[in-house]
Amino acid sequence: MNLQRRLAVVLILVLGVTLATFTGVVQGQAVKNPDTFVYQSAGDVETLDPAWEYDTTSSATILWNIYETLIFFRGGRTDLYDPMLASEVPNLQNGGVSADGKTFTFKIRQGVKFHDGTPMTADDVKYSLLRIMLTDRDAGPSWLLLAPILGFDVQSTRDDKGNLIPDIFDRANRAIQVQGNTVVITLTKPYAGFLSILATWSPVVSQKFVAANGGWDGQKATMPKYNNLPKPDQMTLFDKANGTGPFKLERWDRGTKTVTLIRNDDYWRTPAKLRRIVLQNVEEFGPRRLALQNGDADMISLGGLVNLPAVQGLPGVRVVDDLPQLGNSPALFMTYNIDPEGNTDIGSAKLDGNGIPPNFFSDIHVRRAFAYLVDRQAFIDQAYRGKGRVANGPIPFGMLGYAPRGKWFEVSKDKAIAEFKEAWGGQVWDKGFKFTLSFNTGNVARQTLTQMVKEAVEGLNPKFKIDTRGITWSTYLQQQAKRRLPMFALGWAADYPDPDNFTTPFMHSTGTFSGPQGYKNPEVDRLIEAAGKEPDPKKREEAYLKLQELAYQDVPTIYLRYSVGTLVLRSWVKGWYNNPMFAEGYEYAYRFSKGQ
Amino acid sequence: MGAYVARRFLLLPLVAFGVTVLIFALLQLVSPEQRAALFVTDVKQLAQLSNVIRKYGLDQPVYVQYGMWLQELAHGDLGWSQTARMPTSEAIAAFFPATLELTIYIFVPVVLIGVWLGTQAAVHKDRFVDHFSRLFAISLRGMPSFVWGLILLMVFYGWLNWFPPGRLSLEADLFTKSPQFHSYTHLLTVDALLNGQGWIFVDAIKHIAGPALTLVLVEMALLVRITRSSMLEVLRQDYVRTGRAKGLAEPVVINRHARRNALIPIITLSSLLFVGLLGGVVLAETIFNFPGIGKWGAEAAVQLDIPGVTGFAIFVAGLTVLGNLAADVLYAAIDPRIRLG
Repeated sequence: MNLQRRLAVVLILVLGVTLATFTGVVQGQAVKNPDTFVYQSAGDVETLDPAWEYDTTSSATILWNIYETLIFFRGGRTDLYDPMLASEVPNLQNGGVSADGKTFTFKIRQGVKFHDGTPMTADDVKYSLLRIMLTDRDAGPSWLLLAPILGFDVQSTRDDKGNLIPDIFDRANRAIQVQGNTVVITLTKPYAGFLSILATWSPVVSQKFVAANGGWDGQKATMPKYNNLPKPDQMTLFDKANGTGPFKLERWDRGTKTVTLIRNDDYWRTPAKLRRIVLQNVEEFGPRRLALQNGDADMISLGGLVNLPAVQGLPGVRVVDDLPQLGNSPALFMTYNIDPEGNTDIGSAKLDGNGIPPNFFSDIHVRRAFAYLVDRQAFIDQAYRGKGRVANGPIPFGMLGYAPRGKWFEVSKDKAIAEFKEAWGGQVWDKGFKFTLSFNTGNVARQTLTQMVKEAVEGLNPKFKIDTRGITWSTYLQQQAKRRLPMFALGWAADYPDPDNFTTPFMHSTGTFSGPQGYKNPEVDRLIEAAGKEPDPKKREEAYLKLQELAYQDVPTIYLRYSVGTLVLRSWVKGWYNNPMFAEGYEYAYRFSKGQ
Repeated sequence: MGAYVARRFLLLPLVAFGVTVLIFALLQLVSPEQRAALFVTDVKQLAQLSNVIRKYGLDQPVYVQYGMWLQELAHGDLGWSQTARMPTSEAIAAFFPATLELTIYIFVPVVLIGVWLGTQAAVHKDRFVDHFSRLFAISLRGMPSFVWGLILLMVFYGWLNWFPPGRLSLEADLFTKSPQFHSYTHLLTVDALLNGQGWIFVDAIKHIAGPALTLVLVEMALLVRITRSSMLEVLRQDYVRTGRAKGLAEPVVINRHARRNALIPIITLSSLLFVGLLGGVVLAETIFNFPGIGKWGAEAAVQLDIPGVTGFAIFVAGLTVLGNLAADVLYAAIDPRIRLG
């Protein structure tokens, strides 16, 4: 046999073996690693410290697996709570909430131990809340407790120049009091969403453990030293944990970006069924999908709906989609007062057909015209494979104040033309305009949106011209913050399940979006502030419906889509359920087990 | 030669200085807000953008920022790498052994098989092995390594489940982190053998196989071609004919006389290859989720993780200097006509 022939034989053999193995692998897999749950995600944990973390991967890892909160969401509900480290959920009837809605009394559960065996006390609860409020890193989560407790004018422990506010410790220390086994929190002003914040933002850490490991001891004098630390690993609980939850931290291997949790056998409830939770960072979707197929991963993050078809129909794999989430993503914002300084996005900066004036969008007819042109359902179909609900206001589906039949602009070329003809005294229609609509490169949904807007607008009048342009995410954020983008698309997911967490960033004159956008309506500001304080859900709902009505009337923003989630897991994973506040899917691994 | 080597080593700090100045200068082309995007990843943090810039001094003049970095360096600290979630020096120490191990498993087969195949192609010019090696080289080199990587991942993990991604399986990983296992070299295959744990060795090899195979196939192609042309050149020389004429055995002519003289370009290429692999086999590491230094370096660059990129660049620059030095020393060892000095 000569060489060619021998090679051919080898080749055929290899192919044969390959095919035979392929057909054999897929069927009838036994449960792999039956007492270990493996999750593969595109993201990785930034820190394990509950006072620093403000990203979904870190949060999902520590909450509610390692740390527990005073109260917790009941099943899939976001408006009802079960007690967790508190022994009952405070309300008006049981005297836990004062009649003026300012004082909340939490009876702390007895007999709960931290992972190191020491008992959890009311002092630990107070310390944990103060620690989140006062360590306060820039762009961190501290405002979520500072603002409701000390008043919404206190978004930070530092003034505008970055100096620590002198009495900030005293104010926080006064607001949270320990009385025997109870913790009493007194808000400066009533805030209706407070319990919904605590359901997520009250993880209890051990004061002794933190202090023993060189962290803040809870004293006033030492507090400034721990305020706004520059590096995440300077926080004590960066890579250490001592919580009360069903799992203990076994290891965070930053070399392989893997977090391993192990069952807490001394848990105050029945210990978890799984022995170990492994959270791996696998950036590429391809390997994640193969790991799921081979049973090496029990759950993976999809990383965009574009990957959905690749997991549908895989044997032994369950795809759960249309999961309720509390998100408004994306919405299309119009900037009222664009920064014209060297800004090529607005062309000539005049209404001469070669640009737009910086205050182009301050004319309501322009905004209405754009709103009539955007086909929200078509956008959802094209950009999100039909996944998501058509949005008609800031407050998402499933939340108090959501307006199921809220008014919005129907898709109408004629009405858009009529509005454009009225805009700027008719000049817009006669002279035309030109500006640049940017998207962040890689975000296919936003790219689709810009393309749809461009086509719809340019189809109306040959003098209308929109250029689309892809820029990096960082440039996009920078340009948005500096009011340099004529229009921008961004999304918001709930920090806590309360409508105030949506109306404020979207509509308040100081909001994350509406601020730089330049939208200011005193009536809107008044309604948002009043609704935030109002304890009666009926009255709150009325206020929020009115706000959504104003969102329609003023139309500073074109709402597009309320987000829904998609989860991909092996069908042998049992005990999983969804709560709209879960972002990753493994937040409550306590209930998980594996079996056919 | 000693003086030559010492001089080259003295170059290192100079190169490091040049590289870091270059990086800091380049970074001035992106605005402070863009550099702050490393810390402001979520829309929710947008309102804090200016505070973050102030906190990290991102709007300071370049010499101030460089000075701040130098100050950290003086404390033996290359700064915090936000992408690695650890100090940069620790990140290099954590990621480099994985890449070094992978590189060894790529480099050795590439050189051995590549030089052998190239020699065979030259000796049997225009025969089957020559055509085969050419086809092999063109088709492998012609396809981007990430395409190869994905195909191999699909076949060897998706279908056959032989070569899983990552560096170790779950059980093996847990075992290596337990007190029963001692890390001597941080090269897992070596440590496994030193610990007498055959199964860890097998497990580690299975994980290296995917990315290694991808790169062996791609990188070998070039070496085959270079060896072949260099050998053809040498085989035409008079001394080869003389060797054959005086009745030397063919293997002696080829291996001792011809190939040794053909080695200079091969060494150059190999040293570049070695350093290149160490500096970043980014795509293969990413596709096979292999926790090496290239994957981290690329991520740091994309996310504008300044301390990360700077540390990575210094490290690679150092490697390149050392790689070139090794090549120079090897030239002198192989060719007595070359004198270093």
